[in-house]
Amino acid sequence: MCDDQRVTEGSADPLESYVRAALTLQGYHFDEAQIAEIVVQFSRLETIAQTVLQWTLPFASEAAPVFRP
Amino acid sequence: MDAAICIGSGAGVSPVIGSAADIVRQISAGARSAVSVLAETEALIRARNPDLNCFTATTLDRAGREAAAIDALRAQGKPLPPLAGVPYAVKNLFDIEGMVTLAGAKVNASNAPAGADATVVARMQRAGAVLVGALNMEELAYGFTTENPHYGTTRNPHDRTRGAGGSSGGSAAAVGAGMVPISLGSDTSGSIRVPASLCGVFGLKPTYGRLSRSGTFPFVNSFDHVGPFGASVSDLALAYDAMQGPDPKDPACAQRAPEPVGTAPALPPGIRIGILGGWFHEWADPVARRAVQLAATALNAREWTEIKGAEAARAAAYIITGAEGGALHRSRLIEQYENFGPASRARLVAGSLIPASWVLQAQRVRAQVYREAMELFKRFDLLIAAAAPVVAPRIGEETLLINDRSIPTKAGLGVLTQPISCIGLPVCTVPVWPGSDGPSGQELPLGVQLIGAPWREELCLGAAGILERAGIAQFRLP
Repeated sequence: MCDDQRVTEGSADPLESYVRAALTLQGYHFDEAQIAEIVVQFSRLETIAQTVLQWTLPFASEAAPVFRP
Repeated sequence: MDAAICIGSGAGVSPVIGSAADIVRQISAGARSAVSVLAETEALIRARNPDLNCFTATTLDRAGREAAAIDALRAQGKPLPPLAGVPYAVKNLFDIEGMVTLAGAKVNASNAPAGADATVVARMQRAGAVLVGALNMEELAYGFTTENPHYGTTRNPHDRTRGAGGSSGGSAAAVGAGMVPISLGSDTSGSIRVPASLCGVFGLKPTYGRLSRSGTFPFVNSFDHVGPFGASVSDLALAYDAMQGPDPKDPACAQRAPEPVGTAPALPPGIRIGILGGWFHEWADPVARRAVQLAATALNAREWTEIKGAEAARAAAYIITGAEGGALHRSRLIEQYENFGPASRARLVAGSLIPASWVLQAQRVRAQVYREAMELFKRFDLLIAAAAPVVAPRIGEETLLINDRSIPTKAGLGVLTQPISCIGLPVCTVPVWPGSDGPSGQELPLGVQLIGAPWREELCLGAAGILERAGIAQFRLP
Protein backbone atom coordinates (compact mmCIF):
# COMPACT_ATOMS: atom_id res chain seq x y z
CA MET A 1 0.00 0.00 0.00
CA CYS A 2 1.40 3.40 -0.92
CA ASP A 3 1.37 6.37 1.46
CA ASP A 4 -1.46 8.08 -0.41
CA GLN A 5 -3.72 5.12 0.13
CA ARG A 6 -2.95 4.98 3.83
CA VAL A 7 -3.82 8.63 4.56
CA THR A 8 -7.18 8.36 2.80
CA GLU A 9 -8.09 5.12 4.53
CA GLY A 10 -11.66 5.08 5.85
CA SER A 11 -13.05 7.58 3.38
CA ALA A 12 -13.24 7.72 -0.38
CA ASP A 13 -13.06 11.50 -0.31
CA PRO A 14 -9.57 12.93 0.28
CA LEU A 15 -11.03 16.18 1.60
CA GLU A 16 -13.08 14.37 4.22
CA SER A 17 -10.08 12.23 5.10
CA TYR A 18 -7.99 15.34 5.58
CA VAL A 19 -10.64 16.91 7.82
CA ARG A 20 -10.92 13.78 9.96
CA ALA A 21 -7.14 13.49 10.33
CA ALA A 22 -6.69 17.19 11.08
CA LEU A 23 -9.48 17.13 13.66
CA THR A 24 -7.78 14.26 15.44
CA LEU A 25 -4.38 15.93 15.24
CA GLN A 26 -5.76 19.13 16.74
CA GLY A 27 -7.50 17.37 19.61
CA TYR A 28 -11.13 17.76 18.58
CA HIS A 29 -13.72 15.09 19.35
CA PHE A 30 -16.96 15.33 17.37
CA ASP A 31 -19.84 13.06 16.46
CA GLU A 32 -20.56 12.14 12.86
CA ALA A 33 -23.18 14.87 12.36
CA GLN A 34 -20.78 17.51 13.59
CA ILE A 35 -17.98 16.20 11.39
CA ALA A 36 -20.31 16.31 8.40
CA GLU A 37 -20.99 20.03 9.06
CA ILE A 38 -17.28 20.75 9.38
CA VAL A 39 -16.58 18.90 6.14
CA VAL A 40 -19.13 21.11 4.35
CA GLN A 41 -17.50 24.25 5.75
CA PHE A 42 -13.99 23.06 4.93
CA SER A 43 -15.11 22.20 1.43
CA ARG A 44 -16.26 25.83 0.95
CA LEU A 45 -12.89 27.05 2.18
CA GLU A 46 -11.09 24.69 -0.15
CA THR A 47 -13.09 25.93 -3.14
CA ILE A 48 -12.25 29.55 -2.35
CA ALA A 49 -8.63 28.67 -1.61
CA GLN A 50 -8.19 27.49 -5.20
CA THR A 51 -8.39 31.11 -6.39
CA VAL A 52 -5.43 31.93 -4.16
CA LEU A 53 -3.46 28.77 -4.83
CA GLN A 54 -3.68 29.23 -8.60
CA TRP A 55 -1.85 32.56 -8.44
CA THR A 56 1.73 32.34 -9.64
CA LEU A 57 3.92 34.55 -7.53
CA PRO A 58 7.63 35.37 -7.76
CA PHE A 59 9.79 33.74 -5.09
CA ALA A 60 10.69 37.21 -3.81
CA SER A 61 7.03 37.92 -3.03
CA GLU A 62 6.81 38.14 0.76
CA ALA A 63 3.79 37.45 2.93
CA ALA A 64 1.92 40.59 3.94
CA PRO A 65 2.38 40.77 7.69
CA VAL A 66 5.73 42.02 8.84
CA PHE A 67 6.96 41.47 12.37
CA ARG A 68 8.25 44.73 13.80
CA PRO A 69 10.15 44.22 17.05
CA MET B 1 -28.32 72.53 11.99
CA ASP B 2 -27.88 69.71 9.50
CA ALA B 3 -30.71 69.76 7.02
CA ALA B 4 -31.50 66.09 7.33
CA ILE B 5 -31.54 66.08 11.13
CA CYS B 6 -34.12 67.85 13.24
CA ILE B 7 -34.98 67.83 16.89
CA GLY B 8 -38.63 67.56 17.77
CA SER B 9 -40.28 69.64 20.47
CA GLY B 10 -43.50 67.74 21.13
CA ALA B 11 -44.51 65.98 24.32
CA GLY B 12 -43.06 62.67 23.12
CA VAL B 13 -39.46 61.80 22.50
CA SER B 14 -37.45 63.77 19.96
CA PRO B 15 -37.26 62.19 16.49
CA VAL B 16 -33.48 62.11 16.89
CA ILE B 17 -31.09 63.37 19.48
CA GLY B 18 -29.48 65.80 17.01
CA SER B 19 -26.13 65.80 15.28
CA ALA B 20 -22.98 65.71 17.38
CA ALA B 21 -21.88 69.04 15.92
CA ASP B 22 -25.21 70.63 16.93
CA ILE B 23 -25.10 69.16 20.42
CA VAL B 24 -21.61 70.57 21.01
CA ARG B 25 -22.70 74.01 19.75
CA GLN B 26 -25.86 73.99 21.85
CA ILE B 27 -24.08 72.91 25.03
CA SER B 28 -21.33 75.48 24.44
CA ALA B 29 -23.96 78.20 24.01
CA GLY B 30 -25.92 77.07 27.05
CA ALA B 31 -29.00 76.17 24.99
CA ARG B 32 -28.88 72.59 26.30
CA SER B 33 -26.98 70.89 29.09
CA ALA B 34 -25.11 67.62 28.71
CA VAL B 35 -27.35 66.12 31.38
CA SER B 36 -30.52 67.09 29.49
CA VAL B 37 -29.10 65.65 26.23
CA LEU B 38 -28.41 62.44 28.12
CA ALA B 39 -31.97 62.35 29.46
CA GLU B 40 -33.35 62.73 25.92
CA THR B 41 -31.02 59.98 24.71
CA GLU B 42 -32.17 57.68 27.48
CA ALA B 43 -35.81 58.31 26.50
CA LEU B 44 -35.06 57.57 22.86
CA ILE B 45 -33.29 54.33 23.73
CA ARG B 46 -36.18 53.29 25.98
CA ALA B 47 -38.69 54.03 23.22
CA ARG B 48 -36.89 52.55 20.23
CA ASN B 49 -34.50 49.88 21.37
CA PRO B 50 -37.05 47.19 22.29
CA ASP B 51 -38.19 47.11 18.69
CA LEU B 52 -34.72 47.10 17.14
CA ASN B 53 -32.52 45.30 19.68
CA CYS B 54 -29.46 47.49 19.21
CA PHE B 55 -28.28 47.71 22.83
CA THR B 56 -27.09 44.74 24.85
CA ALA B 57 -26.36 46.98 27.87
CA THR B 58 -26.64 50.62 28.83
CA THR B 59 -24.04 52.51 30.86
CA LEU B 60 -26.26 55.27 32.17
CA ASP B 61 -24.56 55.69 35.57
CA ARG B 62 -21.26 56.28 33.88
CA ALA B 63 -22.97 58.48 31.27
CA GLY B 64 -24.48 60.57 34.08
CA ARG B 65 -21.03 61.18 35.56
CA GLU B 66 -19.52 62.05 32.19
CA ALA B 67 -22.38 64.44 31.31
CA ALA B 68 -22.22 66.13 34.72
CA ALA B 69 -18.47 66.64 34.27
CA ILE B 70 -19.11 68.48 30.98
CA ASP B 71 -21.76 70.70 32.57
CA ALA B 72 -19.37 71.44 35.43
CA LEU B 73 -16.64 72.45 32.97
CA ARG B 74 -19.02 74.90 31.31
CA ALA B 75 -20.23 76.26 34.64
CA GLN B 76 -16.60 76.97 35.53
CA GLY B 77 -16.13 78.84 32.25
CA LYS B 78 -13.49 76.38 31.05
CA PRO B 79 -13.05 75.46 27.37
CA LEU B 80 -15.13 72.48 26.30
CA PRO B 81 -13.61 69.48 24.48
CA PRO B 82 -14.59 68.78 20.84
CA LEU B 83 -17.28 66.17 21.60
CA ALA B 84 -18.61 67.81 24.76
CA GLY B 85 -21.78 66.07 25.87
CA VAL B 86 -22.22 63.99 22.71
CA PRO B 87 -23.86 60.63 23.48
CA TYR B 88 -22.40 57.59 21.76
CA ALA B 89 -22.38 53.82 22.12
CA VAL B 90 -19.94 51.06 21.13
CA LYS B 91 -20.11 47.59 19.63
CA ASN B 92 -19.84 45.17 22.49
CA LEU B 93 -16.33 44.06 21.54
CA PHE B 94 -14.84 47.32 22.89
CA ASP B 95 -13.67 47.13 26.49
CA ILE B 96 -15.72 49.27 28.86
CA GLU B 97 -14.21 49.44 32.32
CA GLY B 98 -16.18 47.28 34.74
CA MET B 99 -18.19 45.43 32.08
CA VAL B 100 -17.68 42.04 30.48
CA THR B 101 -16.64 42.38 26.82
CA LEU B 102 -19.01 39.99 25.08
CA ALA B 103 -18.02 40.28 21.41
CA GLY B 104 -21.49 38.88 20.78
CA ALA B 105 -20.55 35.50 22.25
CA LYS B 106 -21.98 33.38 25.02
CA VAL B 107 -18.50 31.90 25.51
CA ASN B 108 -17.31 35.32 26.67
CA ALA B 109 -20.18 35.97 29.08
CA SER B 110 -18.34 34.52 32.09
CA ASN B 111 -15.09 36.40 31.42
CA ALA B 112 -13.86 38.92 33.99
CA PRO B 113 -15.02 42.51 33.51
CA ALA B 114 -12.65 44.78 31.63
CA GLY B 115 -10.17 46.53 33.90
CA ALA B 116 -9.94 49.60 31.69
CA ASP B 117 -11.56 51.20 28.66
CA ALA B 118 -10.35 50.38 25.16
CA THR B 119 -7.91 53.02 23.93
CA VAL B 120 -10.43 54.62 21.56
CA VAL B 121 -13.16 54.63 24.24
CA ALA B 122 -10.76 56.43 26.59
CA ARG B 123 -10.00 58.91 23.80
CA MET B 124 -13.71 59.52 23.17
CA GLN B 125 -14.12 60.21 26.88
CA ARG B 126 -11.17 62.60 26.83
CA ALA B 127 -12.90 64.39 23.92
CA GLY B 128 -15.99 64.88 26.08
CA ALA B 129 -18.25 62.20 24.59
CA VAL B 130 -20.76 60.46 26.86
CA LEU B 131 -20.89 56.65 26.65
CA VAL B 132 -24.47 55.37 26.88
CA GLY B 133 -24.08 51.67 26.17
CA ALA B 134 -22.81 48.57 24.40
CA LEU B 135 -24.29 47.39 21.11
CA ASN B 136 -25.27 44.08 19.59
CA MET B 137 -23.14 42.37 16.96
CA GLU B 138 -22.66 39.16 15.05
CA GLU B 139 -21.22 36.44 17.28
CA LEU B 140 -17.43 37.02 17.42
CA ALA B 141 -17.79 39.36 14.41
CA TYR B 142 -17.95 36.36 12.05
CA GLY B 143 -20.71 37.28 9.60
CA PHE B 144 -22.66 40.12 8.03
CA THR B 145 -26.18 39.82 9.47
CA THR B 146 -26.25 40.42 13.27
CA GLU B 147 -28.70 37.55 13.64
CA ASN B 148 -27.09 36.65 16.93
CA PRO B 149 -28.14 33.27 18.42
CA HIS B 150 -27.47 34.45 22.00
CA TYR B 151 -28.44 38.11 22.08
CA GLY B 152 -31.07 38.27 19.34
CA THR B 153 -31.35 39.83 15.91
CA THR B 154 -30.83 43.54 15.36
CA ARG B 155 -33.54 44.84 13.06
CA ASN B 156 -33.23 47.41 10.33
CA PRO B 157 -34.60 50.83 11.35
CA HIS B 158 -36.05 51.34 7.85
CA ASP B 159 -37.89 48.02 7.73
CA ARG B 160 -38.26 45.79 10.80
CA THR B 161 -38.56 42.67 8.64
CA ARG B 162 -35.03 43.21 7.37
CA GLY B 163 -31.67 42.87 9.03
CA ALA B 164 -29.29 45.63 10.05
CA GLY B 165 -26.29 43.92 8.48
CA GLY B 166 -23.20 43.08 10.43
CA SER B 167 -21.14 42.44 12.14
CA SER B 168 -21.54 45.93 13.68
CA GLY B 169 -25.32 45.81 13.20
CA GLY B 170 -26.23 47.37 16.55
CA SER B 171 -23.84 50.25 15.91
CA ALA B 172 -25.35 51.07 12.51
CA ALA B 173 -28.99 50.63 13.56
CA ALA B 174 -28.60 52.75 16.72
CA VAL B 175 -27.42 55.68 14.59
CA GLY B 176 -29.90 54.88 11.83
CA ALA B 177 -32.80 55.02 14.28
CA GLY B 178 -31.61 58.36 15.66
CA MET B 179 -30.85 57.07 19.15
CA VAL B 180 -27.24 58.27 19.14
CA PRO B 181 -25.45 60.53 16.65
CA ILE B 182 -22.23 58.51 16.79
CA SER B 183 -21.31 54.89 17.47
CA LEU B 184 -18.17 52.81 17.17
CA GLY B 185 -17.76 49.53 15.34
CA SER B 186 -15.10 47.28 13.90
CA ASP B 187 -14.46 46.15 10.35
CA THR B 188 -12.51 43.02 9.49
CA SER B 189 -14.06 42.29 6.10
CA GLY B 190 -16.80 44.92 5.83
CA SER B 191 -18.38 45.01 9.27
CA ILE B 192 -18.62 48.82 9.33
CA ARG B 193 -19.36 49.33 5.64
CA VAL B 194 -22.03 46.65 5.17
CA PRO B 195 -24.29 47.64 8.11
CA ALA B 196 -23.76 51.34 7.29
CA SER B 197 -24.99 50.53 3.79
CA LEU B 198 -28.03 48.58 4.97
CA CYS B 199 -29.05 51.04 7.71
CA GLY B 200 -28.50 54.26 5.74
CA VAL B 201 -25.76 55.87 7.83
CA PHE B 202 -22.22 57.11 7.23
CA GLY B 203 -19.35 54.86 8.23
CA LEU B 204 -15.58 55.22 8.18
CA LYS B 205 -13.16 52.32 7.99
CA PRO B 206 -9.82 54.05 8.27
CA THR B 207 -6.52 52.77 6.90
CA TYR B 208 -5.39 49.54 8.56
CA GLY B 209 -3.33 50.65 11.55
CA ARG B 210 -4.71 54.18 11.76
CA LEU B 211 -6.80 53.69 14.91
CA SER B 212 -5.75 51.66 17.90
CA ARG B 213 -7.49 48.34 18.51
CA SER B 214 -6.06 47.97 21.98
CA GLY B 215 -8.81 46.86 24.36
CA THR B 216 -11.03 45.41 21.65
CA PHE B 217 -11.85 41.72 21.39
CA PRO B 218 -9.92 40.48 18.34
CA PHE B 219 -11.23 38.48 15.42
CA VAL B 220 -8.53 38.50 12.72
CA ASN B 221 -5.43 40.47 13.67
CA SER B 222 -4.36 40.75 10.04
CA PHE B 223 -7.50 42.68 9.11
CA ASP B 224 -9.18 44.10 12.22
CA HIS B 225 -9.93 47.83 12.01
CA VAL B 226 -12.06 50.06 14.23
CA GLY B 227 -14.00 53.14 13.16
CA PRO B 228 -17.03 55.36 13.67
CA PHE B 229 -20.59 55.47 12.36
CA GLY B 230 -22.40 58.81 12.15
CA ALA B 231 -25.50 60.54 10.88
CA SER B 232 -23.42 63.10 9.01
CA VAL B 233 -19.93 63.52 7.58
CA SER B 234 -19.04 66.16 10.17
CA ASP B 235 -20.00 63.81 13.01
CA LEU B 236 -17.93 61.03 11.49
CA ALA B 237 -14.98 63.42 11.19
CA LEU B 238 -15.36 64.64 14.78
CA ALA B 239 -15.23 61.10 16.13
CA TYR B 240 -12.39 60.08 13.82
CA ASP B 241 -10.23 63.03 14.88
CA ALA B 242 -10.92 62.33 18.55
CA MET B 243 -9.64 58.75 18.22
CA GLN B 244 -6.50 59.29 16.15
CA GLY B 245 -2.97 58.92 17.45
CA PRO B 246 -0.30 56.29 18.00
CA ASP B 247 -0.71 53.57 20.59
CA PRO B 248 2.20 51.22 21.33
CA LYS B 249 -0.24 48.77 22.94
CA ASP B 250 -1.54 47.81 19.47
CA PRO B 251 1.35 46.37 17.42
CA ALA B 252 -0.49 47.10 14.15
CA CYS B 253 -1.22 50.71 15.07
CA ALA B 254 0.90 53.04 12.99
CA GLN B 255 3.09 55.24 15.11
CA ARG B 256 2.12 58.41 13.28
CA ALA B 257 0.87 61.67 14.67
CA PRO B 258 -2.83 62.52 14.29
CA GLU B 259 -3.77 64.07 10.97
CA PRO B 260 -7.02 65.88 11.83
CA VAL B 261 -9.58 66.26 9.07
CA GLY B 262 -11.70 68.91 10.82
CA THR B 263 -15.47 69.09 10.76
CA ALA B 264 -15.83 70.08 7.10
CA PRO B 265 -13.28 68.04 5.14
CA ALA B 266 -12.96 69.36 1.59
CA LEU B 267 -11.82 67.82 -1.66
CA PRO B 268 -8.98 69.66 -3.41
CA PRO B 269 -9.60 70.63 -7.06
CA GLY B 270 -8.47 68.25 -9.78
CA ILE B 271 -9.14 65.06 -7.87
CA ARG B 272 -9.25 62.03 -10.17
CA ILE B 273 -12.00 59.56 -9.31
CA GLY B 274 -12.37 56.12 -10.88
CA ILE B 275 -15.41 53.87 -10.87
CA LEU B 276 -14.54 50.27 -10.01
CA GLY B 277 -15.81 47.81 -12.59
CA GLY B 278 -14.95 44.13 -13.00
CA TRP B 279 -15.60 42.23 -9.76
CA PHE B 280 -17.28 45.27 -8.18
CA HIS B 281 -19.74 45.65 -11.07
CA GLU B 282 -20.41 41.94 -11.53
CA TRP B 283 -21.36 41.49 -7.86
CA ALA B 284 -23.55 44.60 -7.61
CA ASP B 285 -27.24 44.17 -8.38
CA PRO B 286 -29.09 46.81 -10.47
CA VAL B 287 -30.01 48.89 -7.41
CA ALA B 288 -26.41 48.89 -6.17
CA ARG B 289 -25.20 49.84 -9.63
CA ARG B 290 -27.67 52.74 -9.67
CA ALA B 291 -26.34 53.96 -6.30
CA VAL B 292 -22.80 53.94 -7.67
CA GLN B 293 -23.91 55.81 -10.77
CA LEU B 294 -25.65 58.49 -8.70
CA ALA B 295 -22.51 59.06 -6.65
CA ALA B 296 -20.23 58.95 -9.70
CA THR B 297 -22.32 61.53 -11.55
CA ALA B 298 -22.37 63.89 -8.56
CA LEU B 299 -18.59 63.58 -8.22
CA ASN B 300 -18.07 64.01 -11.96
CA ALA B 301 -16.39 60.60 -12.16
CA ARG B 302 -16.58 59.09 -15.63
CA GLU B 303 -13.71 56.68 -16.03
CA TRP B 304 -14.13 53.01 -15.21
CA THR B 305 -11.23 50.99 -13.90
CA GLU B 306 -10.52 47.64 -12.25
CA ILE B 307 -8.62 45.95 -9.47
CA LYS B 308 -7.87 42.75 -11.37
CA GLY B 309 -6.85 40.97 -8.19
CA ALA B 310 -10.13 41.76 -6.41
CA GLU B 311 -11.44 38.20 -6.53
CA ALA B 312 -8.10 36.85 -5.32
CA ALA B 313 -7.99 39.45 -2.56
CA ARG B 314 -11.42 38.39 -1.40
CA ALA B 315 -10.35 34.74 -1.47
CA ALA B 316 -7.14 35.56 0.40
CA ALA B 317 -9.13 37.45 3.03
CA TYR B 318 -11.50 34.51 3.35
CA ILE B 319 -8.67 32.04 3.95
CA ILE B 320 -6.73 34.25 6.36
CA THR B 321 -9.94 35.06 8.23
CA GLY B 322 -10.84 31.38 8.55
CA ALA B 323 -7.37 30.41 9.74
CA GLU B 324 -6.82 33.25 12.23
CA GLY B 325 -10.39 33.19 13.56
CA GLY B 326 -10.33 29.42 13.93
CA ALA B 327 -6.94 29.38 15.60
CA LEU B 328 -7.99 32.10 18.04
CA HIS B 329 -10.90 30.05 19.35
CA ARG B 330 -9.54 26.50 18.93
CA SER B 331 -9.13 25.67 22.61
CA ARG B 332 -12.64 26.86 23.47
CA LEU B 333 -14.08 25.05 20.44
CA ILE B 334 -12.59 21.86 21.87
CA GLU B 335 -13.92 22.52 25.38
CA GLN B 336 -17.31 24.12 24.80
CA TYR B 337 -18.39 23.66 21.18
CA GLU B 338 -22.07 23.73 22.14
CA ASN B 339 -21.75 27.23 23.54
CA PHE B 340 -20.85 28.64 20.13
CA GLY B 341 -23.70 29.54 17.79
CA PRO B 342 -24.68 26.99 15.16
CA ALA B 343 -23.83 29.34 12.30
CA SER B 344 -20.26 29.96 13.43
CA ARG B 345 -18.90 26.91 15.24
CA ALA B 346 -18.41 24.56 12.28
CA ARG B 347 -16.96 27.44 10.23
CA LEU B 348 -14.50 28.26 13.00
CA VAL B 349 -13.39 24.65 13.41
CA ALA B 350 -12.99 24.27 9.64
CA GLY B 351 -10.88 27.43 9.64
CA SER B 352 -8.60 26.04 12.31
CA LEU B 353 -7.76 23.13 9.98
CA ILE B 354 -6.52 25.29 7.08
CA PRO B 355 -2.99 24.28 6.05
CA ALA B 356 -0.24 26.83 6.67
CA SER B 357 0.74 26.81 2.99
CA TRP B 358 -2.71 28.20 2.04
CA VAL B 359 -2.44 30.99 4.59
CA LEU B 360 1.06 31.97 3.53
CA GLN B 361 0.05 31.97 -0.12
CA ALA B 362 -2.97 34.11 0.79
CA GLN B 363 -0.72 36.61 2.60
CA ARG B 364 1.54 36.78 -0.47
CA VAL B 365 -1.47 37.32 -2.74
CA ARG B 366 -2.60 40.05 -0.37
CA ALA B 367 0.74 41.84 -0.77
CA GLN B 368 0.58 41.43 -4.53
CA VAL B 369 -2.93 42.91 -4.84
CA TYR B 370 -1.85 45.78 -2.58
CA ARG B 371 0.91 46.57 -5.04
CA GLU B 372 -1.61 46.46 -7.91
CA ALA B 373 -3.85 48.92 -6.07
CA MET B 374 -0.91 51.26 -5.46
CA GLU B 375 -0.31 51.33 -9.21
CA LEU B 376 -3.96 52.27 -9.67
CA PHE B 377 -3.57 55.15 -7.23
CA LYS B 378 -0.99 56.69 -9.58
CA ARG B 379 -3.91 57.28 -11.97
CA PHE B 380 -6.69 57.95 -9.46
CA ASP B 381 -7.02 59.63 -6.09
CA LEU B 382 -10.27 57.93 -5.16
CA LEU B 383 -12.20 54.87 -6.28
CA ILE B 384 -15.95 54.26 -6.06
CA ALA B 385 -17.83 50.99 -5.58
CA ALA B 386 -21.02 49.81 -3.92
CA ALA B 387 -20.63 48.82 -0.26
CA ALA B 388 -23.13 45.96 -0.44
CA PRO B 389 -24.32 43.95 -3.43
CA VAL B 390 -28.00 44.42 -2.49
CA VAL B 391 -30.23 46.41 -0.14
CA ALA B 392 -30.96 44.93 3.29
CA PRO B 393 -32.11 41.30 2.94
CA ARG B 394 -35.07 39.96 4.93
CA ILE B 395 -34.20 38.51 8.32
CA GLY B 396 -33.46 34.80 7.99
CA GLU B 397 -32.82 34.96 4.25
CA GLU B 398 -30.04 32.42 3.85
CA THR B 399 -29.13 33.06 0.23
CA LEU B 400 -28.69 36.18 -1.86
CA LEU B 401 -29.44 36.18 -5.56
CA ILE B 402 -27.13 38.66 -7.27
CA ASN B 403 -27.40 38.96 -11.04
CA ASP B 404 -28.61 35.34 -11.27
CA ARG B 405 -25.83 33.99 -9.04
CA SER B 406 -26.60 32.81 -5.53
CA ILE B 407 -24.30 33.25 -2.55
CA PRO B 408 -24.81 32.59 1.22
CA THR B 409 -26.05 35.80 2.90
CA LYS B 410 -23.79 35.68 5.97
CA ALA B 411 -20.67 35.75 3.82
CA GLY B 412 -22.02 37.19 0.58
CA LEU B 413 -22.99 40.60 1.89
CA GLY B 414 -19.27 41.33 2.17
CA VAL B 415 -18.36 40.41 -1.37
CA LEU B 416 -17.64 44.05 -2.31
CA THR B 417 -15.96 45.12 0.93
CA GLN B 418 -13.68 42.17 1.62
CA PRO B 419 -11.18 42.84 -1.21
CA ILE B 420 -10.67 46.41 0.05
CA SER B 421 -10.12 45.65 3.74
CA CYS B 422 -7.81 42.82 2.69
CA ILE B 423 -5.39 45.49 1.49
CA GLY B 424 -6.16 47.95 4.27
CA LEU B 425 -7.38 50.95 2.25
CA PRO B 426 -9.40 53.71 3.94
CA VAL B 427 -13.07 53.87 2.97
CA CYS B 428 -15.91 56.21 3.79
CA THR B 429 -19.29 54.61 3.14
CA VAL B 430 -22.10 57.04 2.37
CA PRO B 431 -25.86 56.30 2.33
CA VAL B 432 -27.40 56.71 -1.11
CA TRP B 433 -31.09 56.27 -1.93
CA PRO B 434 -31.21 54.67 -5.36
CA GLY B 435 -34.97 54.09 -5.54
CA SER B 436 -36.80 50.80 -5.48
CA ASP B 437 -36.97 47.90 -7.85
CA GLY B 438 -39.32 45.81 -5.77
CA PRO B 439 -43.10 45.52 -6.03
CA SER B 440 -43.53 47.21 -2.64
CA GLY B 441 -42.12 50.46 -3.97
CA GLN B 442 -40.21 50.77 -0.69
CA GLU B 443 -37.01 52.74 -1.00
CA LEU B 444 -34.12 51.40 1.02
CA PRO B 445 -30.62 52.82 1.36
CA LEU B 446 -27.54 51.41 -0.23
CA GLY B 447 -24.01 52.50 0.68
CA VAL B 448 -21.32 53.63 -1.71
CA GLN B 449 -17.67 53.12 -0.81
CA LEU B 450 -15.34 56.07 -1.37
CA ILE B 451 -11.94 54.37 -1.33
CA GLY B 452 -8.65 56.19 -0.88
CA ALA B 453 -4.98 55.35 -0.95
CA PRO B 454 -3.49 54.49 2.46
CA TRP B 455 -3.60 57.37 4.96
CA ARG B 456 -5.81 59.52 2.70
CA GLU B 457 -8.95 59.44 4.85
CA GLU B 458 -9.36 63.17 4.27
CA LEU B 459 -10.09 62.55 0.58
CA CYS B 460 -12.69 59.88 1.38
CA LEU B 461 -14.40 62.23 3.83
CA GLY B 462 -14.06 65.19 1.45
CA ALA B 463 -15.88 63.30 -1.30
CA ALA B 464 -18.49 62.19 1.23
CA GLY B 465 -19.03 65.84 2.14
CA ILE B 466 -19.61 66.76 -1.51
CA LEU B 467 -22.19 63.99 -1.88
CA GLU B 468 -23.89 65.03 1.35
CA ARG B 469 -24.11 68.67 0.34
CA ALA B 470 -25.44 67.65 -3.09
CA GLY B 471 -28.19 65.65 -1.37
CA ILE B 472 -27.00 62.38 -2.97
CA ALA B 473 -25.80 60.96 0.35
CA GLN B 474 -28.30 61.51 3.13
CA PHE B 475 -29.15 60.31 6.58
CA ARG B 476 -32.93 59.86 6.61
CA LEU B 477 -34.86 59.26 9.76
CA PRO B 478 -37.12 56.21 9.34
